[in-house]
Amino acid sequence: MPCTDSVALNLWYPVTALEDITSKPLHTLLLEEPLIIRHDGTSQVHTRGRTLPVRESYGYLWTSLGTSQEDLFPIPEYTEDDRRNVHAATIGVQTSAPRSIENFLDMGHFPYVHTNILGAEPHTEVKEYTVEVSTECDEIRATNCLFWQPMAAAASSAGAEVNYIYRVPHPYCAVLYKSSPANPDRLDVIAIFLQPETQERVRAHMMLCLLDETTSNREIRLFQQTIFGQDKPILENQFPKRLPLDPRAETPIRADKSAIAYRRWLSEKGITYGVIPSAA
Amino acid sequence: MLHSLYQQWFPIASSTDLVPRHVYQAQLLGREFAVWRADDGYVNVWENRCLHRGVRLSIGINDGRELKCQYHGWRYTNRTAGCTYIPAHPADAPARTICNNTYPAQEAHGLIWAGEEANGPLPDLGAHANGIVLRPIPVHAPAEMVETTLQSYDQDILFFVQPCDSDHCIIRGIAKPNDDRTVLLRQHSFALGELRDQVEAHAALVEAPARYKPVIARVAEDFIDIPTLTKEGRTADLPVTITAKDIIAKGIARLRLEPLKCALPTFQPGAHVDVHLQNGLVRQYSLTNGPGETDHYTIGVKLEPDSRGGSSTIHALNLGDNLAISVPRNNFPLRRDAVETILIAGGIGMTPLLSMARALNVQGLPFAFHYFVQSDAHIAFRQEIGTFADAATIHKGLSPEDTSTKLSEILAEPGPARHVYICGPGPMLDTAREIAGRTGWSDTQIHFEYFKNNTQRNTSGSFKIELARSAMTLTVPEGTSILNVLHENGINMSSSCELGACGTCRCTVIAGEIDHQDVYLTDSEKAAGNAMMTCVSRARSDRLILDI
Amino acid sequence: MKLYNYELSGNCYKLRLLMSFLGVDYETEAIDFYPGQKHKSPDFRQINPLGQLPAIEDNGLVLRDAQAILVYIASKYDADGTWYPAQDPALLGQVMQWLAFADGITATASAARLHDGLYYSHIDVEAARKGAHTLFRILDEHLFFAEDAGQAWICPSDQPTIADIACFPYIMLSEEGGINRMDYPAIRRWCDRFKRIPGFIVMPGIFPAGPAFEKPAA
Repeated sequence: MPCTDSVALNLWYPVTALEDITSKPLHTLLLEEPLIIRHDGTSQVHTRGRTLPVRESYGYLWTSLGTSQEDLFPIPEYTEDDRRNVHAATIGVQTSAPRSIENFLDMGHFPYVHTNILGAEPHTEVKEYTVEVSTECDEIRATNCLFWQPMAAAASSAGAEVNYIYRVPHPYCAVLYKSSPANPDRLDVIAIFLQPETQERVRAHMMLCLLDETTSNREIRLFQQTIFGQDKPILENQFPKRLPLDPRAETPIRADKSAIAYRRWLSEKGITYGVIPSAA
Repeated sequence: MLHSLYQQWFPIASSTDLVPRHVYQAQLLGREFAVWRADDGYVNVWENRCLHRGVRLSIGINDGRELKCQYHGWRYTNRTAGCTYIPAHPADAPARTICNNTYPAQEAHGLIWAGEEANGPLPDLGAHANGIVLRPIPVHAPAEMVETTLQSYDQDILFFVQPCDSDHCIIRGIAKPNDDRTVLLRQHSFALGELRDQVEAHAALVEAPARYKPVIARVAEDFIDIPTLTKEGRTADLPVTITAKDIIAKGIARLRLEPLKCALPTFQPGAHVDVHLQNGLVRQYSLTNGPGETDHYTIGVKLEPDSRGGSSTIHALNLGDNLAISVPRNNFPLRRDAVETILIAGGIGMTPLLSMARALNVQGLPFAFHYFVQSDAHIAFRQEIGTFADAATIHKGLSPEDTSTKLSEILAEPGPARHVYICGPGPMLDTAREIAGRTGWSDTQIHFEYFKNNTQRNTSGSFKIELARSAMTLTVPEGTSILNVLHENGINMSSSCELGACGTCRCTVIAGEIDHQDVYLTDSEKAAGNAMMTCVSRARSDRLILDI
Repeated sequence: MKLYNYELSGNCYKLRLLMSFLGVDYETEAIDFYPGQKHKSPDFRQINPLGQLPAIEDNGLVLRDAQAILVYIASKYDADGTWYPAQDPALLGQVMQWLAFADGITATASAARLHDGLYYSHIDVEAARKGAHTLFRILDEHLFFAEDAGQAWICPSDQPTIADIACFPYIMLSEEGGINRMDYPAIRRWCDRFKRIPGFIVMPGIFPAGPAFEKPAA
């Protein structure tokens, strides 16, 4: 069934990493529409005889099926001279885009899903953090998120609390900022851009802007893929796959503050694609 | 049609499928089940979905007593399916309303029987009773098609077809008792496999019926009915009977309480119940049960020499006597994120700590259990302590001075991730509190249970609430939520998470300054000051006027 | 020993498992399999001309193919000879039979996973899923009767063999290729037993098991 969500149709979506583009046409799916990506000097995206608008941002080719796209959200760090931008992977997952965003915002699962990397028992507490919907740019921001991590600093064996900031600037994209091991005063950036192929299947594109000068691109990619590979069986075992927006559909706790705000934000935007809307 | 199928019993597993510490995945009429056998043999048939984020519980861990979700480590207990622990908030006791969906289930004839709303007796198996359960054969075809084909299966087998979904079923057969069991199993496994291949080839030619769409129940709005009021303003809605009573130490009776109707609610380590005695007295006793022990509660009662009718009445009770108890309350919740947990028990104050020790022991978390007793004859629950003997130290017959010295040793090294739980006689607690303060333990790491019910939560300050529509004014005392005060006064207010997260208990505020403690309302809604979550939020002003 | 490794590869995981079970020390060289396709690079093709992972180097010996390397490591480093029972012809024959079966699982279940997760679009995913289900039905029946005879493992030995290792990863990862295991209860139980072998390690996509049941002392 084609997408009828006018909000979703008008958004920009990543459809491939620029580095994956060759002279061979690429076939992919966006909101159930089959796309063909061709390249001869410039990249074009076609669907059912239509030529779609394109833009190149953050290492990906973006397109939209709608007509009234706004500008794409900013990630200012992407253009900082001393940062390395790495496309970690594009991975297919049998889940909805909003489920995937919620998992990206979630810290409570670190000890259980990313055991001994991003978390370890018994350090399971999610401390109070701040969530707000930024009025000037319509995005969700979670700040002052602290979590104990065993591999926080390469030199330390005792583990330490790491500070995270999360942004959700797009219904299907999220960006996190995390203390950089290379530079204690600045933050590394990890972004997830979701391309919903259908309501219940996504292509997850993962991008990093790091200050790290010693770790190779290969190691960064493999680390990020390990983390995402650990999330995958969780995402694919969630039921229902579409995110329920009814507050009583699941049981939120204080740690889920950012997810609560995200669900309400999606409701208020009128998003229906990839979610189960709350009965009015 | 579907409704009548919901009422039926279907076999959903063979008994042999439910090996210890395994979670079996089943499906019936479109609904998935996580099926697991606890170490005590009980078969749990639950919806295959963690209430928190919908993750399949069949990928979780059966530790023999509880089922742990793989995503955030939430623990759900044997039988009741109640949540006993939420690791993201280690200091909080989960609300009792967080309870998984369970389904009727029975084990009989080597099969596990269940149904969406099954009731009535199981089918009569006649001559096939206690026969040989065949290897189940899953088939990708509608159950009716398979049933029709099975009619021509020319052997004396009693068949049940489990409709997993509209296009998928499982053939479960029972053969009459036979000496050549293995030969028979192999023969039918092969023959039914051939039959399956034929039916599937046929089913592939016809259009598949629409899938069943099981309704996902919303989270319980209010798990417990409005409490009935007793003389003392406390609820006593659980009738129980004494099924075992013995004197386990000098002056200490152990009572096993089993429910007279329904199942007992979920408890957490550290929880207590109010016991209502026939003479009208109400006494609080901690539960000593280990995790997953959910078919009974066990309490330990010390005969007080100056008893005013509480402990002496209980000691005079006999097997078969009935009592009314409250649902368990937990003012002494156990964190499980400590690097080490130190439990310090004095005399009969050991009971809540015993439950904690048993939970920590089963989970393999590091802890030490110190038990101060007058003499060898006063040691209660020896057998239970024996299950964690390596972690237990019993201090016998110490003078107050020696007790103080010993407590100083135990509390010598405060650590950021060490937690101490102390329960015992008042003077011992005072000594421990004084030593802990001197040694540098922070208040957040040292937890006392004084056997009183008015503690816990950062819920200081008393205030009044005026209920505009009900024309009532109530006082919310320190330590009690508005929600509880409403419930105690018979005012119906829906609630769900009771943690200020779900928005169910939202209430309109007409006047007064709100002390918001929830995470549901946005900052601007909080600033507007005309709505609040009654489960956690309180008043900054002396009085709130609520639109109730 | 050096293992040319990709963390998300089930075939590499087979070797990491066996070396963990046997306590063999080894180093790894991570290959950017995806999206880098470095296993097809000229450098790597000098190690394995087939351009496939895994491969090992051990004292100058270069070896490719997960099952072949399992045979090599077990023969060389397992003093008890239980993982690769070379002294027992009947058992050894069965081990080899199930190693070949494991190749079938790789060709089907692993292919479906690559299609769904990493966009190997040339794979006929429906055929791969169907093929995996056919194999899983056979293995489930086999394990049902093994259990019934009191045997825990794929081959009739008191100890697990490399046949168990060869079959385990792509069965556990099959759901990533859209292959549900609900219909294979005997396989699901065997997976739990496998996860409880001392020295078991996980890989992304596979969770550990809880503690085993121990009969309380009477």
